[in-house]
Amino acid sequence: MSIEVSGGRRGLTDPVLAAEIMAAIPDQPLETQRKMNYFMTPRGKRINEYEVLCCYSQPTPDWIPGGLDWGDWTQKFHGGRPSWSNESTEMRSSDWLKHRDPAFRWHALYVKDKAEEWRYTDRFLKAYSADGHVRSMDPVWRDEVLGDYLGAFGFSEYGLFNSHSSVVRDCLGDTLRMSSAMIGLDKVDNAQMIQMERTFLAKLVPGFPEATDIPKNEWTKGVIFKGSREVVQQIWQETYDWNEILFSGHMIYDPLFGQFVRREFFSRLSSYYGDTLTPFFINQMQLYFSQTKGITTDMFHTCLAADEQFGAYNIRLMHTWADKWLPRTITALKDFMGIFAKIPEIKGVSDKPAIEAALNRVFDDWKHDFADPIGYKADTAALVKTVLSGLK
Amino acid sequence: MAISAATKAATDALAVNRAPVSVGAQEVHRWMQSFTWDFEKNRTKYSTKYKMANDTKEQFKLIAKEYARMESVKDERQFGSLQDVLTRVDAANRVHPKWNESMKVISNFLEVGEYNAIAGTGMLWDSATAPEQKNGYLGQVLDEIRHTNQCGYVNYYFAKQGQDAAGHNDARRTRAIGPLWKGMKRVFSDGFISGDAVECSINLQLVGEACFTNPLIVAVTEWACANGDEMTPTVFLSIETDELRHMANGYQTVVSIANDAAASKYLNTDLNNAFWTQQKYFTPVLGMMFEYGSHFKVEPWVKTWNRWVYEDWGGIWIGRLGKYGVQSPASLRDAKKDAYWAHHDLFLLAYALWPTGFFRLSLPTAQEAEWYEANYPGWYDMYGKVYDEWRARGCEDPNSGFLPLQWFIENNHPIYIDRVSQVPFCPSYCKGASTLRVLEFNGKKHSFSDQWGERMWLSEPERYECQNIFEQYEGRELSEVIAEGHGLRSDGKTLISQPHTNKDGKLWTLDDIKKINCVFSDPLKAL
Ligand SMILES: [Fe+2]
Ligand SMILES: [Fe+2]
Repeated sequence: MSIEVSGGRRGLTDPVLAAEIMAAIPDQPLETQRKMNYFMTPRGKRINEYEVLCCYSQPTPDWIPGGLDWGDWTQKFHGGRPSWSNESTEMRSSDWLKHRDPAFRWHALYVKDKAEEWRYTDRFLKAYSADGHVRSMDPVWRDEVLGDYLGAFGFSEYGLFNSHSSVVRDCLGDTLRMSSAMIGLDKVDNAQMIQMERTFLAKLVPGFPEATDIPKNEWTKGVIFKGSREVVQQIWQETYDWNEILFSGHMIYDPLFGQFVRREFFSRLSSYYGDTLTPFFINQMQLYFSQTKGITTDMFHTCLAADEQFGAYNIRLMHTWADKWLPRTITALKDFMGIFAKIPEIKGVSDKPAIEAALNRVFDDWKHDFADPIGYKADTAALVKTVLSGLK
Repeated sequence: MAISAATKAATDALAVNRAPVSVGAQEVHRWMQSFTWDFEKNRTKYSTKYKMANDTKEQFKLIAKEYARMESVKDERQFGSLQDVLTRVDAANRVHPKWNESMKVISNFLEVGEYNAIAGTGMLWDSATAPEQKNGYLGQVLDEIRHTNQCGYVNYYFAKQGQDAAGHNDARRTRAIGPLWKGMKRVFSDGFISGDAVECSINLQLVGEACFTNPLIVAVTEWACANGDEMTPTVFLSIETDELRHMANGYQTVVSIANDAAASKYLNTDLNNAFWTQQKYFTPVLGMMFEYGSHFKVEPWVKTWNRWVYEDWGGIWIGRLGKYGVQSPASLRDAKKDAYWAHHDLFLLAYALWPTGFFRLSLPTAQEAEWYEANYPGWYDMYGKVYDEWRARGCEDPNSGFLPLQWFIENNHPIYIDRVSQVPFCPSYCKGASTLRVLEFNGKKHSFSDQWGERMWLSEPERYECQNIFEQYEGRELSEVIAEGHGLRSDGKTLISQPHTNKDGKLWTLDDIKKINCVFSDPLKAL
C-alpha cells in the first residue's frame, strides 16, 4: 500500500493502517522506567502529578541554581542584558526550582476551583436577590461604605494584581512563575468581585451608582486610602526585585492592611449593618488570601529562609525589607482609621476598644505567621498604638 | 438620590419583581478599563521604542472567574478522553514507533515555547498601559501555563502507557545535549522574552502563534492521527482553542501602536526579523519531524507550508494588517525556497548526530525513498544514496563502529552552526540556500548561513553571543558528553537515542560509542 494516506484516515481505527503499525511495535516496552521526571526530588514521599507537569519545565542553565541546561542565552535584550539572571533579585538560592504550591495546583486544578466558585457565586446572587435580602442593609453602609470605600479598596487589589506582571516575567523558577501568576490572578479576581458586588447592588437598588468614578476619586484623592495607595504604587512600579515585590505585597502589606480591611472591617462589620452580601465575596477573597499565604510562606520561609547555603543571608535581607515596608504599611493602616468617622458607631463593634481588638488580631496573626518564622522582632503593641492614633 | 429614597425604591422594586438576578462577566468587564489610575511613576519596567495606546480594547471580554469556567470545561473533556477511552483501548501502544519518537521532541519542545510564553506575556501585561490590553495578556499568561502542563501531560502519558518511555520520561533533563536544542531556544525561549516588548510580541503572537501555530499545532494532529496517535490531537486541539485569543492579542498590539510614529519606522523591520527568526528554525524542523518522523505521510511539507505560511499568513493575515502599514516580510520569498529542501538538509545532519538526541531516528525505508523522490525530484541523488551508503556501512548496527558523522569528516564536509539561529548547516553538502559566511569580532569567529541572520548580528552582535554545541563540546569525547547529559536509559548503559526503530534491531550502548572514540572539534578553528 501507499504510505501517503489522505482523507483523514486514522491509524488507530483504520484496520489496514493499524495492522501495519502494530507489526512495527516492539513486543516488549523498551524502557521500564515509566515515571516522568523520575530523576527529581519530590517534596513529599512520591513525585506527584503537579511536580510531573510543572517541575523542570523551565529551560534555565545550571548557573541559575537548579537549572539543568548549559551555556548562554541565544538572544538577549538590546545591549546584551540576559534573558533571566541571578541579578534580578537580591535573594540567593541554591535551587530556584524548589518552591511548591502546598496545594499542588497545576493549571487544571486551579481553574477547576475557581470555576466552582463562579458557579456558586452565580447561584448565590440569584438566591440573594430573589429573597430580597438587600432590604435589610443599612443605607449609609450600603451607599457610602460599599459604594465608595469598598469600591476604592478594589484599586488596592487591582494595583497589587499588576505588581505580579514583572514577577511573572523575571522570576527564576517554573513553580515560582506559575504560583505568581495564580496569586496575581486571584488579586484581579478580588477587584472584579468588588465591582461585581457594586453592579449587583445597582441592579437591586435603583439609583445605586455602579460607576467606578466615585471610588476612584476616593482612592486617588481621598485621605483614607492615601497611605495604601502610595504603598501599592511603590510595590507595583518602583520595585524591580521580583522577590521584594512578592515579599512587600504578600508578607507585609496584604497580611496587615489587606487583612484588616477585608476581614476586620468589611466582613466583620457588615453583618452589624444588615449586610450579608459583602461577606460572601470577602470570604472568597479570604480563601485566596490563605492559599496565597501557603504559597508565599513556602517561597520565603520553607525555601529561602531555610536554604542551607544562603538561609542566614536571606533572613537578614528579609529583615531589611520588613524594616522598609512595615512603616509604610503602618501609615496605610493609620490613614484607613479615618473611615470609622464615616460610619454610625456601634458600641462594642466599631468603637475604639473594638478596633483595637481587631488590630491586635491582625498583628498577632502576622507576627505568628510571617514575622516569627524568620525571627523578625516587631513591637506589635506599639505598632497598634501608632495605627490607632489615626482615629479621628 | 437620597439614601432613604433609594431604600424605598429598592423595597418597591422588590415588591414588583422578585426574579432572581445575577451579574454576568461582561457586566463586570465593561468597567475594567477604569480600574487603573494615573500616577507619576506609572510606567513599564520593559522598555519599548513603540508607544502602546492607553485606550486599547480587547475582543474577548473575560474576567478571572469566567476564564476559569471556560478552561475547566475544556479540561474535563480533554482529560476525560485521555483517562477514559484512550487508556481503555491502550491507545499509546497503538502508535507507530517512529511517531512515538517524534512526540518526545514535539511535545517537549512545544512545552518550552509555552513555558517561555508565560514570561513573555507577563512582560506584555507589564508593558501594556490599557487595562483591557493587560487583561488580554493576563489571560494568555494563564493559558500558557495550561499549555505547558498539557504538553507535559502528553509526554507523561506516553511514558506511563507507551512502548518506549525513555526520552518521554526525562526530556526536560536530557534535551540539551543535541543539535536541535539551542535553535529551539532561540525561537521558543529567548525570542519571546528578551528584547523590546513589542518585538517580543511580534515574535510570539504575530509570527509564532499567528503563523506557525497552524502547522505546528493543527497539521501535527493530522500526522499524529495517520500514525495511530489520538492522544496528541486530543491535547493539541484543546490548546489550539486558546490560540485565537492569543492571535487577537498580537493583532491588538499592532493596532495599539499603529498611530505611533515609531511604527512606521521600525515595525516592518521588526516583523521581517521575527519572521526570519521563527521560520529559520521551524521550516526545517517541522518538515523534518513530519516527514522523517512518521511512517504514514499526510502530504509533502512544502504544500503544508505554502498553504499555512505563505498564503494564509503571508497573504491573508498580514493583508488584514495592511491598513496599519504592515507589509509582507521581505524575507518571505527566501523562506519559501527553504520550505523545499531545508528539512532534507537538516535531517541528514540530525541523523549524523543521532547519539546526541533523546529519541530514536530512522533512515528512510525504500517505500519512503520513493515517496520523497516523487515529491521532491532529485532527492535520491542528494540524500537517498548517502543513506544507502550509511546503511551499507552498518550505521544501525552497534557492532559496525560506524557513525554517519564520520562520513562528513571523511568527505571533508564540515558542519557549522549559524550563530544567530543556532541551526546547524553543511554548506558544502546541501540543496537548500545555506552559504557559509564567517565574521570575526572581539577575537572570536562566527559563522552564518544566510544574509538575514547575518544582518541581525551585524547590527547587534551583543545579542547573539551564545556559544554553540561544537564550541561547548570541543575536545571532548562523544560518550562522555552523552553520559554527562544523562542520555542513558534506566539500565545505565543503553542509549536513549538510537539510529533505528526496528523492533528486532540491536540497541547501542555507551560502550559502543566509546569504542569509536569520536572527539568533537570546532570547525571555526580550522578556518
Ligand atoms: Fe500556548
Ligand atoms: Fe499561545
